[in-house]
Amino acid sequence: MLAGTKDAPLIGPLLMEEREGVLAVRFSAMASPCELLLHTIDRASALELGAIAAGEAWRIEKKYSRYRQDSVTAMMNGRTGSVLRVDEETASLLDFAAQCFELSEGLFDITSGVLRRAWKFDGSDRVPDAAAVECLLSLVGFDKLHRDGTFLMIPDGMEVDFGGIGKEYAVDRVYDLLVARCPVPFLVNFGGDLRASRPLPHGPWKVAIERPDSDQSAAMMLDVEYGALATSGDSHRFLLKNGIRYGHVLHPRTGWPVQGSPRSITVAASSCTEAGLLSTMAMLKGTQAQRFLEEQQVRFWLL
Amino acid sequence: MQLEADTAGVRRKLIAASCALLTAATARGEETSVPQKLGRLLENWQIQSAVAYYREDGRVQAIEPVVSAARETADGGKIDFNFTFDSLSGSSPNGASPSRAAQTFASPSAKSFDTARHTYTVGPGRLPVDPNYSDARAAGGANWTFNLSRLTQATVGGKFSYEDDFYSATVNASIDHSFNDKNSTISLGVSSENDFLQPIGGAPVPLSDYALFEKGGHKSKRGEGLLLGLTQVMTRSWLAQANVSLDRFSGYLNDPYKIVSVIDGAGTPVLYVYENRPDSRTRRSAYLENRVAWHRSSAALSLRYMTDTWGVRSDTAQVRLRWWNAARDQYVEPTVRWYRQSAADFYRPWIVNNEAQGPYLSADSRLAAFHALTYGVKYGVKLNDRLGWFAREGTEFNLRLEYYQQTIQDGPAGPGGLSGLDLYPRLKAVLFQFGFNY
Repeated sequence: MLAGTKDAPLIGPLLMEEREGVLAVRFSAMASPCELLLHTIDRASALELGAIAAGEAWRIEKKYSRYRQDSVTAMMNGRTGSVLRVDEETASLLDFAAQCFELSEGLFDITSGVLRRAWKFDGSDRVPDAAAVECLLSLVGFDKLHRDGTFLMIPDGMEVDFGGIGKEYAVDRVYDLLVARCPVPFLVNFGGDLRASRPLPHGPWKVAIERPDSDQSAAMMLDVEYGALATSGDSHRFLLKNGIRYGHVLHPRTGWPVQGSPRSITVAASSCTEAGLLSTMAMLKGTQAQRFLEEQQVRFWLL
Repeated sequence: MQLEADTAGVRRKLIAASCALLTAATARGEETSVPQKLGRLLENWQIQSAVAYYREDGRVQAIEPVVSAARETADGGKIDFNFTFDSLSGSSPNGASPSRAAQTFASPSAKSFDTARHTYTVGPGRLPVDPNYSDARAAGGANWTFNLSRLTQATVGGKFSYEDDFYSATVNASIDHSFNDKNSTISLGVSSENDFLQPIGGAPVPLSDYALFEKGGHKSKRGEGLLLGLTQVMTRSWLAQANVSLDRFSGYLNDPYKIVSVIDGAGTPVLYVYENRPDSRTRRSAYLENRVAWHRSSAALSLRYMTDTWGVRSDTAQVRLRWWNAARDQYVEPTVRWYRQSAADFYRPWIVNNEAQGPYLSADSRLAAFHALTYGVKYGVKLNDRLGWFAREGTEFNLRLEYYQQTIQDGPAGPGGLSGLDLYPRLKAVLFQFGFNY
């Protein structure tokens, strides 16, 4: 997820901490605690690599956060109805979103954010009016965008949001930037979406994945050697009415929360983008989540 | 089942799609098409370019393209280059005062008044201007800033300027030291300039009769400057800067094309002589600037006081405001600048024949007492990603329009025939500039 408070300063501090031969460079980006873990490296190099990681994370946040008025996302959403020329990176992300839309048969849709106009997941019982949701559905559908290479036209009233892939994409981008520069094993972790280069000499990386329970201390510990983990969940954002819990994962075809999804899905895959998409798609499959993941033959953890 | 086969293939397709996304991102670092190569070449450079058109009402006009490029160096320093080309043409006052009768002057390259080709005639009551004035100037410079320590930076640089009749070279060096948690910066700068003049037709002998064409060879002058500055962060949104500077020029400081009318008691010019300025000039100045920012606006207020050994004292006050729109991609920047100077001790709009004169003499209106007002407005628009690959952060188009009005403080009224003539005409000028920052 790509978030960030409005007008938040994009350049923050880098904090360094050393524990058992692992240096952690921590910073905050995309409304998440982020860290780069490095095995046995001098502090100056760690800080340099940390700055590359943070710089890329902040760049992607600044460029794609829909909360920032100067972002590319805001620019695209602010100019609906006219033909835009987008840069190559944005075009690649749109291509990727198109493929995900297609292979999820419309379940993964970066235009579904307009449904938030009706749904406010604030823990209350304010479930929206069915007619209002129905009305917004006409503004959802990636196939309604007109695209040709770097040209894009978003029909009036629609909007795009890279929030569903931004953080995972940032993890992979940082991984790619560091893999050529970093001589020691490292792990990039942006708020639980992570990717490791190779295991530590004495064993796998131990990472804590937040559980969706109210008891925050009970984090799930996972071992990671190579590859990526991504987690989707509806832990904190929901509505509760007449005993029905409405999770924040909205089905882009019905406009209503997907029922029967696990509370949290963590998937292991070779890249964070891939893991993130698999966990998001599984979440959208509702009761079919587990079966979908089994078919993909990936490691996963459901809660 | 068909459906299952399709779902099971999701991961394989997803791997291919993620891979395409990420390799595209990595490959963008190694793009090969010409615009992308150019984009990479310029990647770390900030380019500023502008073309200005300047026109004085009834006098000269100029076109001036400027381009500068700056980049940060690996160690946190900076390197920048700039290049300017000026092309000036039109009519420039030659220093003589208006007269009731038509006046004929020789072009600078003339050796005598023989041919009409080398002379120009100014009508009665008109300010004498050389109508064939033209000049082209090419200038460039470079500066390199590097870190001496975590808190101390040094800059060394140089610039040159080339015209048909004037060459100039300057070297400069400065050192900046920050203290008080980097909230204060003290600067010390020195510069040295060497100029070489080769006036068209030769350098005239000062105070010689204009009609005698008594001219010598090339001339030179040199200058040294010293600057001491303090920049202080007052609050998060208020920056103050104060400078004092001292510079000294020596050598040939005349304008080789400027003359002075020598008139008789009836106001009729009897001859013209070449001007003569002291061969040294020492200038002291103090400068204070405050910049404040609030919400989507910022303001800069600057004041300068200058005094020199020629008796010229000047004051400048400038206010510049900038307002951004809500999306912070467009701004409007109005500016007002007020300038006032006193005349040089040896400024005389004319001299009267057979009256005692000091050894120094100039009728150059730039040494007269005058005040001037400039009103300007600039509009800028940030392109951000609106142009696809071409644009990046900081890409900006801007337009600037300025109106300048100079009023020469009325000097002595002319005797006899000069009375009633507009001896001190106002100067009005407009500047139009189109800029592009990348």
